[in-house]
Amino acid sequence: MMLWKNTINELLKIATKIRSYIGIGALTLLILIVLFAMKADGKSYIGFVTASFEQTLSFNGKILNGNLIAFIIMQMLIVHVPLLISLVTGDLLSGEEASGTIRMLATKPISRSGIVLSKWIAATIYTLIMTVWLGFLSLFVAKWMFGTGDLIVLNSNGLLIIPEADLAWRFGLALIIAFLALWTVATLSLAFSAFAKNSVGPIVSTMSVIILFTIIGTLDVSVFDAIKPYMFTTHMAAWRSVFEDPYPTSAIWESVIILVAHIAVLLGITLIRFNKKDITS
Amino acid sequence: MALIEVSHLAKNFGSFHAVKDVSFHVNEGDVFGFLGPNGAGKSTTIRCLLSLIRPTDGEIKFFGKSLNQNRSEVLTRVGCIIEKPDFYKYLSAQRNLEIFARISGKDITKRQIQEMIDFVGLNGREGDKVSGFSHGMKQRLGIAQTLLHNPDVIILDEPTTGLDPQGIIEVRNLILRLRDEQKKTVLLSSHQLSEIEIIANRMVIINQGRTIVEGDVHELLEKQSMNLEISVANPTVFEETIQRDFPSLTARLVYKGTYHIEMEEDIRQPLIQRLVETGCGVKAVIPKRSLEDFFIKMTEK
Repeated sequence: MMLWKNTINELLKIATKIRSYIGIGALTLLILIVLFAMKADGKSYIGFVTASFEQTLSFNGKILNGNLIAFIIMQMLIVHVPLLISLVTGDLLSGEEASGTIRMLATKPISRSGIVLSKWIAATIYTLIMTVWLGFLSLFVAKWMFGTGDLIVLNSNGLLIIPEADLAWRFGLALIIAFLALWTVATLSLAFSAFAKNSVGPIVSTMSVIILFTIIGTLDVSVFDAIKPYMFTTHMAAWRSVFEDPYPTSAIWESVIILVAHIAVLLGITLIRFNKKDITS
Repeated sequence: MALIEVSHLAKNFGSFHAVKDVSFHVNEGDVFGFLGPNGAGKSTTIRCLLSLIRPTDGEIKFFGKSLNQNRSEVLTRVGCIIEKPDFYKYLSAQRNLEIFARISGKDITKRQIQEMIDFVGLNGREGDKVSGFSHGMKQRLGIAQTLLHNPDVIILDEPTTGLDPQGIIEVRNLILRLRDEQKKTVLLSSHQLSEIEIIANRMVIINQGRTIVEGDVHELLEKQSMNLEISVANPTVFEETIQRDFPSLTARLVYKGTYHIEMEEDIRQPLIQRLVETGCGVKAVIPKRSLEDFFIKMTEK
């Protein structure tokens, strides 16, 4: 009961903070810029991609459609959305510490675990809203602007054309997996937040970890081969696998399990840290 | 009945012993003064009482129950201000109170919140963001937050810090109203020793992390030596009279013509009579037996 009541409080705090809208605003702006750019010069962009196939294939129909734009937007922005999310989630515990309100909060009859869990639930809801907003803008607005059609995906196996009728569930599943990846980032920044006294540290630390792990993931050095499959950054782009045919069910499940395991471990660390913490600010 | 019992409390931060051995009890209906010089361990003790800091050793009981094992139940019956009350600055006063009311462990209506806003004199400002509030207004909002869930015990850590004289008087009057009208038990930590003397009925003094003395404020003061501040027109005659007729007394010059005298037994009447007889030109005699003297004496030991 207390957990639910404090979750309402946390959602209220997120909803009334200006920084919460920076992420949504930036995401909206970025998507609108991409949509505008595609509207203005999308054909030459697509032409550049399809040029290498034009001698062997002829393309009929509307290649530049809402589905393709949505796919491009998701690829471009999934790297930047973590920063926008950690802007909010990295502040959840450290912001209370910086403003001194942590004293007021921790002297109420809600347990320390209750405080962490309610913030984590609020962070989850915020991440979900960001993901849904990303999906809505990239899919519905793009379809409204560019119309619909089959999706042409260029992946490691070559060119894949996915029929329009087969796309709705793929985009849905891709957004669910993307949400899992962003949820991991949100939980990571919340964990950093439990160790910090202001929100700058958690935000910078979260981005540093993502950048570091991404670099390690792209380095073709055998010494990192053992850890690469277990780094959450390796699985952040797992949503793309949904657009393969046949799509690799076991690889997707593996990514989901690793991301969920990361969330559980990071949440556990946050709970232990915050429960043991002496509030001296 | 003791509402708060603290037994041999200790807290270490690494190798630093912030609190070594603090024990005291606060009875129902007490306004209990919690005194100590800077660095004595007052804030650490109070934070332990409110479960902000985990003690290294010792036991804390509220209402006869262990704080450690009954944290939520205890904190439902306790209200507090730790140093300065901090609020969500981007929210209104009313919204802040709603947030804290929601997790107070009791069902608090919007009407009760408004009544509390009225009680602390913030009516008309409840819709304003806290970022525009003065320190005094935040302090009043802090007291509203403290009282919102009608706690049995109120813990106030330095509630007048940073307030102007008017603000200090307002907070003091508010505490007196809590004592007299609502019969609340209050634990008050303050550097304003005169405030404790006026408000508190019992007190504890701690120094260097240890309890120095605990008891009834007036009984403790009764045991103390009587000090006087005497202003005279003729300092030379005054000093000669003291040396000749009262050799056991020490007269310390405070400023021109004004002396501070400490006496072990009450010899005010013969002293003043003699000073008048010898023509010192006594202009003022001010009794200086105070908690401040007592406090300094105890913490110097």
